[in-house]
Amino acid sequence: MKKKKAYPYLLIGPAILFMLVFVIYPMFYLGYISLTNWNLINPTKKFVGFNNYITLFHREEFYKSLFNTCTYTFFTVISIMVIALLLAVWFNRNTKFDTFGQMAIFTPHIIALVSVAMVWLWLMDPDAGLLNYILKVFGFPPSKWLQSSKTSMMSIIIVSVWKSVGYYTLIILAALQSIPKDIYEAADLDNAPKIRQFFKITLPMISPQLFFLLIVMTIDSFKVFETVRVMTSGGPNFSTNVLVYYIYDNAFINMKLGYAAAAGMVLLVIIGLITIVYFKLLAKKVHYQ
Amino acid sequence: MARIEIKNVTKCFEKNTIISNLNLTIEDGKFTVLVGPSGCGKTTILRMIAGIGPQTSGQVLIDGEDVSDIEAGKRGVAMVFQNYAIYPTMSVRENIEFGLKNNKVPKAERERRINEVSEAVGLSDYLDRKPSTLSGGQRQRVALARAMVKQPKVFLMDEPLSNLDAKLRVQMRVELIEIHKRLGTTFVYVTHDQVEAMSMADKIVLLNNGIIQQEASPADIYRDPNNMFTAQFIGTPPMNILDLGCDGVRFGFRPEKVSLSLKPVEGSYKFEADIVTREMLGSETIYSLRMSDGKTVMAKSSKDDFFMGNHVYASVERENIYLFAEDEQRIRAENEGYEKYLNMLGASDK
Amino acid sequence: MNNKKALRIVKKTPEYLLKTLVILVFIFPFYWMLSTAFKTYAEAIATPPTLWPADLIIENFAKAWNSGPFLTYTKNSVIVTLSVIVIQYIIMVPAAYGFARFNFRGKNLLFAIVLIAFMMPGQIVFIPVYLMLAKWDLLKTLLPQILPFAANAFGIFLLRQYFMQVPEEIIEAAKLDNAKEHQIMFKIMMPMAKSAMMTVALFSFISRWNDYFWPLVMTNDESLRPLTVGIAMLKDAEGIVNWHVIMAGNTILVIPIILIYIFASRQIVKAFVYSGIK
Repeated sequence: MKKKKAYPYLLIGPAILFMLVFVIYPMFYLGYISLTNWNLINPTKKFVGFNNYITLFHREEFYKSLFNTCTYTFFTVISIMVIALLLAVWFNRNTKFDTFGQMAIFTPHIIALVSVAMVWLWLMDPDAGLLNYILKVFGFPPSKWLQSSKTSMMSIIIVSVWKSVGYYTLIILAALQSIPKDIYEAADLDNAPKIRQFFKITLPMISPQLFFLLIVMTIDSFKVFETVRVMTSGGPNFSTNVLVYYIYDNAFINMKLGYAAAAGMVLLVIIGLITIVYFKLLAKKVHYQ
Repeated sequence: MARIEIKNVTKCFEKNTIISNLNLTIEDGKFTVLVGPSGCGKTTILRMIAGIGPQTSGQVLIDGEDVSDIEAGKRGVAMVFQNYAIYPTMSVRENIEFGLKNNKVPKAERERRINEVSEAVGLSDYLDRKPSTLSGGQRQRVALARAMVKQPKVFLMDEPLSNLDAKLRVQMRVELIEIHKRLGTTFVYVTHDQVEAMSMADKIVLLNNGIIQQEASPADIYRDPNNMFTAQFIGTPPMNILDLGCDGVRFGFRPEKVSLSLKPVEGSYKFEADIVTREMLGSETIYSLRMSDGKTVMAKSSKDDFFMGNHVYASVERENIYLFAEDEQRIRAENEGYEKYLNMLGASDK
Repeated sequence: MNNKKALRIVKKTPEYLLKTLVILVFIFPFYWMLSTAFKTYAEAIATPPTLWPADLIIENFAKAWNSGPFLTYTKNSVIVTLSVIVIQYIIMVPAAYGFARFNFRGKNLLFAIVLIAFMMPGQIVFIPVYLMLAKWDLLKTLLPQILPFAANAFGIFLLRQYFMQVPEEIIEAAKLDNAKEHQIMFKIMMPMAKSAMMTVALFSFISRWNDYFWPLVMTNDESLRPLTVGIAMLKDAEGIVNWHVIMAGNTILVIPIILIYIFASRQIVKAFVYSGIK
């Protein structure tokens, strides 16, 4: 009997152990590090209280990276949402062509972000890049893309949207396909034009899913790092320095672990808050019919 | 009010032909029921009339006008779907109002009609509720109200009662008949349930494999079936059919026309049998009888005093015998050979 | 009737053209990568650009390959990816089974831990994990790239869901047939969750193979780096102008995934879409 009681713990034990060691404990450890002046060059670690936070909140750079992250998140999330919704509705058909289209749009999502970033770095090359050539062919002035602080953030956003939009398109498509067909037939019989059907039926019916996607996208955007690291290293002139890059830069380039950890705690709080909202909503997820 | 004509209609799904060259006229103001086993094409015909599943070729006419190229919403028809197809994000009122808004009916008129219809189907107290808070029966009423409020020329109903429990179904049947009487509009009703068809229809159109087997009133289709399929589809338990043993002709009789007795009896067609099972339904009892040659037939009787193992004498009157030719078509009194075959039946008895 | 059909095709043509354009937007950059990878330096930066390389220059790949210890990078990528998948299975299947089939004290708390692990991005915990691994003296091995991924919270979620869908009757029937718990798990539950297991494997494979952030912060030695980090460094090694070589390197990284995608696109799409809906 005793053996029976222990059995489920034996089953889940290893998984929980790894999670405790690599997720839960590090969370607290991060908090502790943020209260020290730990740096990688000379391993003296002294408890310094909230000094790191005080410095952090007085640094213009930190606010700049926070602001950049928010700008990035805002435009990325909105663009992905609108484009994915349009593509999903547009490609929501069962022909071979449309299925191929869905697969094609999805492709960038499974390719390493490093490669995606490098391919776009090449496409956006101001001198020999294809994008400027296309602009020129259509009579537009060339852009400096990633090399000007005016357009660098926009360029990063374009790459992120391009990479992720297919993924969200397919998720929205799955939601669309779960709407019963006869509702649209009823709407046809009610003489409702297609546009009206979209706004009065489709959109309200998938809005719970869209809302959750919104939150997932937001969390995802706050974690942006690889594109920035490969394409701009936060530049030019700090214009694409986002929060995770700022943390990374301070931890492994400037070697100021305590300070980086304090910035990490800020990210933890932000993502934590968004996650709580997410689960609060998940609990009262709307159920139709 | 409208008469519907379906002319030389063919419908294919990809490479499968469901209906080929079908002609059907649905009379104005009648309650017509399309009935048949699943896959017989009944829903296909309904969707063709509605315009949500257009025919591959042929014409559909409503009131003499070819509507083949007219959109579903502009045909002046309304439909009640099997799963109701209620807009889940709209309130009951918005559900009912949606079609009127799309058709640009003025607000005052909309209000008036919604009140009238919701009164008629008993939804007045639920107008501001969301469909998810309603019971199955109430949703059914929303679907009905949504159709009625448009004051269509034609009502189309696709198995509207199949998702209700048995008791509610019987109640709604009566209500639908009353609504039809009050409105006097053309109703086209699809079901696979012959009892529903018999109890509601002015006229039954029986389909099998995309072909019309018979069009007639419930009484005629029961009393005078055209062929073996009709004879066996309508009525429970189905008609007993046995081989006559000549020219491939078969004869049939309805279980309720069999008289049973423990003593030998008189009748045009007589046989002896053992009672194998007994199903007591209340006012009637259904027996299954095994004849001496091993064949089983069903009998329905108001008497419940026969039991398993009883040896009984059964008889059927001459006028209750149906004859079917080798091609399963009915041999009627005016057809050649009718008397001959019927007499053979009398002679064959011992 | 034929006229009607012709009219419909004419009406549809602009839509199909537009759709093709959209599809090109998502596929063409990969073609461009491939095309550049076979060009000479001069052709790569020529204006107007050429769609198809004049000569197929295969040396670019050799150049990319030899610009760093790419054999080591590839080996590391393969070892890390495969060991993560194997270890994940060993840990995940029993855990999912335990959560799906048993009630025990503290189950909710333990499941909350799984939830947190699921939501917690590596971008938050990398500093403390790095310091821990340094303390344990593991930074000179591949383990920092493997151990943190040993417990796959997403996989536990997904498999748990599948296991819960197995009807209780089947398990009861197995018990009546005197089956042991592990037999129930391996002989009944796992075969029924086959597609979910495949999904998790594909998902893990793609996310480990493509990962850049984690190996970047966990390694400072060439001999431990995976392909992604190696390829990213090409840019510094080759200089920003040698696009033909950089694209050749990227092609090496991308090809395995593209091949898998071509053969298992439906399954991959399903895996990712499921991870998004949950």
